[in-house]
Amino acid sequence: MTARRRPWYRREMSAGSFAFFMNVPTLLCLGLVLAYPVIYAGYLSVHKVGLAQLRRGEFAFTGWENYGRVLEDPLFWVALKNTLVFTVITVGSEIVLAVMIALLINQTSVWTSRVTRFLILLPYAIPPIANGLIWSFLYSFQFGFLNRILFSAGLITDPVNWAGNPNTALYAVTVPYIWRTLPFAIILVHAALQGIPKDLYEQAAIDGANAWHRFRHITVPMLRQIVAIILVLRTAFAFAVFEEILAITQGGPGDATWVAAWYSYKIAFAPPNNFGMGSASAYILALMIGVIALVYMRFVYRRVTL
Amino acid sequence: MSNDIIQKWELSRRRVLGGAAGLGLAGASGAAFGQQAGPWAVPPKAKVDRLNFVVWTYGDIYTRIAKQFEADWGVKVDSTISSFNDHPTKLTTMYAAGEKIDVSQSSPFSFPNFVAQGLVEPLDDMPGAADYAKDFTAFTKQVAMVNGKLMGLPYFATSWVWNYYTDMLEKLKFDKPFATYEELIEQCVKAKKDGVSRYPILWIAGVGLEQLPGTWYQMTWNKGGMFFDKQGNHMLGAGSIARETLKWWANTFEKGLDIADPESLKVQFTSGAKAFGAGKNLYRGPNHHYGLNICNDPAQSPIAGKVKVHGSPGDGRTIADAHVYFVTTANRNKEWAWKLLQYLGGKTKDGNYSQAINLAKDAMLGSGFTSVMNSDVIKTGWAPWGDVPEILKIWDKSAYIGEVCSSIYQPWHFPWTDQVNIEVQKCLTGQITADVCCDNLIKGIADAKRKV
Repeated sequence: MTARRRPWYRREMSAGSFAFFMNVPTLLCLGLVLAYPVIYAGYLSVHKVGLAQLRRGEFAFTGWENYGRVLEDPLFWVALKNTLVFTVITVGSEIVLAVMIALLINQTSVWTSRVTRFLILLPYAIPPIANGLIWSFLYSFQFGFLNRILFSAGLITDPVNWAGNPNTALYAVTVPYIWRTLPFAIILVHAALQGIPKDLYEQAAIDGANAWHRFRHITVPMLRQIVAIILVLRTAFAFAVFEEILAITQGGPGDATWVAAWYSYKIAFAPPNNFGMGSASAYILALMIGVIALVYMRFVYRRVTL
Repeated sequence: MSNDIIQKWELSRRRVLGGAAGLGLAGASGAAFGQQAGPWAVPPKAKVDRLNFVVWTYGDIYTRIAKQFEADWGVKVDSTISSFNDHPTKLTTMYAAGEKIDVSQSSPFSFPNFVAQGLVEPLDDMPGAADYAKDFTAFTKQVAMVNGKLMGLPYFATSWVWNYYTDMLEKLKFDKPFATYEELIEQCVKAKKDGVSRYPILWIAGVGLEQLPGTWYQMTWNKGGMFFDKQGNHMLGAGSIARETLKWWANTFEKGLDIADPESLKVQFTSGAKAFGAGKNLYRGPNHHYGLNICNDPAQSPIAGKVKVHGSPGDGRTIADAHVYFVTTANRNKEWAWKLLQYLGGKTKDGNYSQAINLAKDAMLGSGFTSVMNSDVIKTGWAPWGDVPEILKIWDKSAYIGEVCSSIYQPWHFPWTDQVNIEVQKCLTGQITADVCCDNLIKGIADAKRKV
C-alpha cells in the first residue's frame, strides 16, 4: 500500500523554495530601485550623451568609444591609483580597529563598555558632508584645532598643512572617512563576537590555552565570515568615496586627492556634461569592485568548521 | 443742520475734484518720466499659475524677490536654491530630467556651454530687451550677448583688485603699497624678516574656475600676456609671459622665497577674505573687489577698517567678469519668464534696477548696467567698505576675462581648467617646475577636447 501523495499546495516547502520566496520581495525592490539606474547607466555609457541629448532622449550609439576615452585619460589612472591607496588604508585600518574595539566593548565585566557601545555609534549618525566640513576646520593650516593641540603639546613647532600638502592630503582625507564609517564595522564584529559560544573559550581555557591562543584559534576563525562581508562592503563604499573629498580638498592640492568617484562626477556633472563618459568611468569602477568582491569571497570567506 | 451738510458736501466735492486732478497729474508725470509706463510695468497676455527659478544661494534676496513678484503680479514663484558649487549640477540634472525651469543663473564660464547645449532662450524679441543691452557695461556685453543676441541679464560684475593691511604696512615703515612686482617681493621679504608676518601674501589659489586660474590670468594680463590669441592658439610656450609669470608666482611658495601663505591653495573668495581678516597677512590678491565688504566688516573681521584696496603694477590693467541670469528653454511661458528674469537682473515693476541696487548696497557687488555703475548708489553704497574712487579707477582698467583666456568660450574649457588647477597647484607646491606645468597644460588641451 502506498501513501497518497499530497497536492503541491499542501506539501511542506523545501528549505530552498522557502528561502527563494522569502527573498522575492527584496529582490523586487532592489530590482526597481537599483537595477533600472544601473542598466540605464550602462546604456548611457555606450552612447553620446550631453545635456541636450539627455533632455531630448535621443542618443547616438558610440559603442566602446567612451570606455576608450576614459582609459586613455591619464587623470583617470591617477584617480584610480589614489582610490586604491585610499581603499587599502581605510579598509585595512577599519578591520583592525573594528576587531580591537569590538573586543573591548565585548567585555561585559567592564561597565564603561556599555557607555562606549553607545558613544561609538555617534560618528555614524553624522552626515558625510558635515563630517567633511568639520574635519576641514580641524585641518585648517593656521587656525585649525589639530595644529593647535599638537602645538600646545609641543609635538610641532610650525603648523602642518595637513590637507594642503600633496604628501599628506590623501592620508588626511582617510582619517575623517575612517572616523565616520568605523562604527558600522564595529557593530558587525561585535554582533559576530556575541555569536561565538562561550563554552568554546571555557573548554580552551581548561585545556590550558592562553588569551592569545584563544583569540588566534577561536575568535579569528569565527570572525572570518563577518570580516569577509565587511571587506566587501567597506571596499565597495571606499571605492566610491566622494563627500569627504568634496568638502575637504576638492581633489587638490594638484591631483593628490582626485579619486575615481570625483573623476566620474566631474566628467558627468561639470560642463560640458559628458554623461556617457561619466557613466563609462563609473562602470569601470563598478567592474573593479565586483572583481575585488569575488576575490574576497574566494579567499577570505570560508565556512567555519571547528 | 442742513447747512452743515451742504457745507460738508461742497467741501467733499471740492476735495474729490482736487483729488482727481492730482491723480491725473501724477499719472501724466509718471508717463513722462517713463517709470510705470515702461515695458517692465506691462503684464504679459498669457496666464500662468506659477513660475520658478533655480539659483545659487545669496542671503535672503531670492525670498524677497519671490515675494515682491507675487505681490506685484499675483503669480507665485517657487525657488530652488543650492550652493554656488552645486548649482550647475542642480540646474543640469533638473533640465535633463525634463523639469520646468523658467529662470536660472550662470557664471561666465558655464554660460557659453549652457548656450551651446540649448539651455538658454534668446531674448532679443522681448519688450525692453534692446534698452537693457544698450545699458550694459562693456564686459557684461561680452558675457550676456552671444553672437549678437541677447541671452541674459547681469547678476553682478566684479573687477580683480589687491588688498593690503594698513597697520602692517605702517609697522614696516613703508609709506605706500608696492608699485612693482619687485617691490611687492621686497616688502614681503622684509615683513617676514622683521617678524611682522610669517606669510605676508595670501593668494586666492583654491581649486575653482576663477580662483586659482583667475589669479594667474590676472597677473599674466597685467604683465602684458594672455593665454590664447584671437585664433585660439595657446600662448603658454617657452618664454611666454604666462609661463614666466607662473615661475615668478611659484617662487613665492615653499621652494623659493617662502612668503606665500600655504592656506592660499585652499581659499576661495569669501574664505580668503575671512582668513585675511585675521590680520596675519600683509597682502591679499588679486581677486574680486567685493572681498572688502568682509575684510572691512566689524562683524566678520578683527581688522575691519584697516584693509585698503590697491591697483596692479605697471599700467594697472586688470581683469573683470560678470555673472548672469537667463531664461531657460524649459520655461513655462517666455513672456512671464522674461518678466521674472527682470526682477532678478533688470527692472522691477516700478522701473528701478531694484536687485542691482540692493546688491550694491548690501554686498558691494558691481552692476552690469552702466547707469547703475555711474549712479550715486555705487558711490554711497560701497563707501562703508572701501575707497570707491580708487576701485572705480581700477574698474576702468579692466578687461573681460574672456579676452585673456578665450578658451572660456570653448566646450573643453572646463576639463582643461581642471587640469590647470591640478598642474598649477603641483607647480606651486614644488612637485613640478613651471616649464613642466605649462608643457603639460599645452598637451592637456588635446586631452580636454577628447572629453567633450
